[in-house]
Amino acid sequence: MTNIGHTIKSVKQGLEKGEFSVEEIAAEYRKRIEKENPKLNAYLSVFENQNPKPLTLNPGPLSGIPCAIKDNILINGEKCTAGSKILKNYVAPYDATVINKLKNAGAIFLGKTNLDEFAMGTTGENSAFGPTLNPHDHTRVAGGSSSGSGAAVAADLAVFALGSDTGGSIRAPASFCGVVGLKPTYGVVSRYGLIAMASSFDQIGPITKTVEDAAIILNTIAGRDPLDFTSVPGDVPDYTANLGKPIKGLKIGVPKEFMGEGLDSKINDLVQKALSGLESLGAHIDEISLPMTDYALAAYYIIVPAEISANLARYDGIKYGYSTFEKDKRLLDVYLDSRAGGLGDEVKRRIMLGTYTLSAGYYDAYYLRAQKVRALIKRDFEKIFEKYDAVVGPTMSTVAPKIGELSDPLSAYMADIYTVQVNIVGLPAISVPCGFVEVGGVKMPAGLQIIGKHFDESKILQIAYAFEQSRGL
Amino acid sequence: MSNITEKEVEHIAGLARIKLTEKEKDKMTKELGAILGYIDKLKEVNTEGVEPIAHITGLTDVFRNDDNPRESDPENIKRLLKQAPGEKDGYVKVKSVFED
Repeated sequence: MTNIGHTIKSVKQGLEKGEFSVEEIAAEYRKRIEKENPKLNAYLSVFENQNPKPLTLNPGPLSGIPCAIKDNILINGEKCTAGSKILKNYVAPYDATVINKLKNAGAIFLGKTNLDEFAMGTTGENSAFGPTLNPHDHTRVAGGSSSGSGAAVAADLAVFALGSDTGGSIRAPASFCGVVGLKPTYGVVSRYGLIAMASSFDQIGPITKTVEDAAIILNTIAGRDPLDFTSVPGDVPDYTANLGKPIKGLKIGVPKEFMGEGLDSKINDLVQKALSGLESLGAHIDEISLPMTDYALAAYYIIVPAEISANLARYDGIKYGYSTFEKDKRLLDVYLDSRAGGLGDEVKRRIMLGTYTLSAGYYDAYYLRAQKVRALIKRDFEKIFEKYDAVVGPTMSTVAPKIGELSDPLSAYMADIYTVQVNIVGLPAISVPCGFVEVGGVKMPAGLQIIGKHFDESKILQIAYAFEQSRGL
Repeated sequence: MSNITEKEVEHIAGLARIKLTEKEKDKMTKELGAILGYIDKLKEVNTEGVEPIAHITGLTDVFRNDDNPRESDPENIKRLLKQAPGEKDGYVKVKSVFED
């Protein structure tokens, strides 16, 4: 798995030099998917010759680049399951804004990728359609919730993929699969057409083989969208502009809470080595503290289920999706039975948890308190970013777990300890490969997480790029 | 471990419109208890005088025009209705609310 396969640049060069046509490169990827996907379960659906048809190819920046889309992002006329039985046969009636933008840029959609049901999970095992396996070791998970997108890019079954990140769902699979995953600032990318999980946390972002590709994709998908009122106004900067600029003199804070108890010692070694690498490039490294780290996870698992319980009320067996309409006689039974039969365990658990913490008598103690803790965590980061350009640490505390290893819900939640604060505060963060840990004779990848202040994607991309170049691909 | 009773779980399941089997109720009671036990640690945080977060990047008062061109598009309506399990005369059909 040392050969990363095609990048955006290499496909572009191949097309320009006439080494292959758009039809040929797309066909090559379809062939690879046909061969590899039965082992990995990365794709839930593959588009047969959907495009390119006789090509009137859009001459955009992603012209002819084959990509994969997480199956919670709508593509008009295609199935969109969100990894759930309740949406097994749901056909998207419109394009998500990011899909529109990719279409206009000329990208080619290979298919839709597997995910934890409604993006709820850290391993990918909560999909109603079976787990995605890790390309590096088929007995291990790919990471979630964007499991199929991570595995597809790592196994070169797509040049790049889109994922979504609510508490680490882009960065966890990126870390476990050894690829790059970027979670943009909340509001930088439109959520219109993304099946909602927790609306004040969700962001769409790229999973790619290189940092440069992540910047190129962000250039395409970012921007204010009148259809998403939480998308931020203003011009989209060129996110590739800082790539290659030296990081000499940049100040980097390393939270001691990310480097202590709970962190696998071999990942600790990799992160320390990465920090020395950044230091030798001229960055200034300090230990800092994020004292709310433990509380952040607790706040996350209050606010997110609360938003989930509201957002998922729409799956009621009435308007679309799995329904017991034919068999039930009373309206109430249609609700109760459709949701009982259509939703999986983790989704039910979170809906129940959110309903509980929002219910009369508990709102102040849980939800309101958690939103106040959220303000305190935001304050912590604001103070840090007054002094520092970025916060750096591990993305995950371990390499990809074995299938079934995190089956207890609470221990699965604990795995998100380094990733959720980013979403709680709406910050941008990138996971970039930082080496391998040998377990059981197999080399498993791990990711370095670089967190920036709001709208400072360019800087974390700059640091990630410098790090990637110093390591070599 | 925070206490949530099976009776509370039943009540919450009713509010959430999810039918649970007896076995699921038992499992859910244990699992929610463990999770609530963990998130209860938020009670240790002093939040006095802290304003809760409303919007994380601080956007306020975003408006749009009071129209939606897709709302009246008959093709779109047809497509959406096709996904409903029950349909009659261009409306989504539902079961009766009251018993006969």
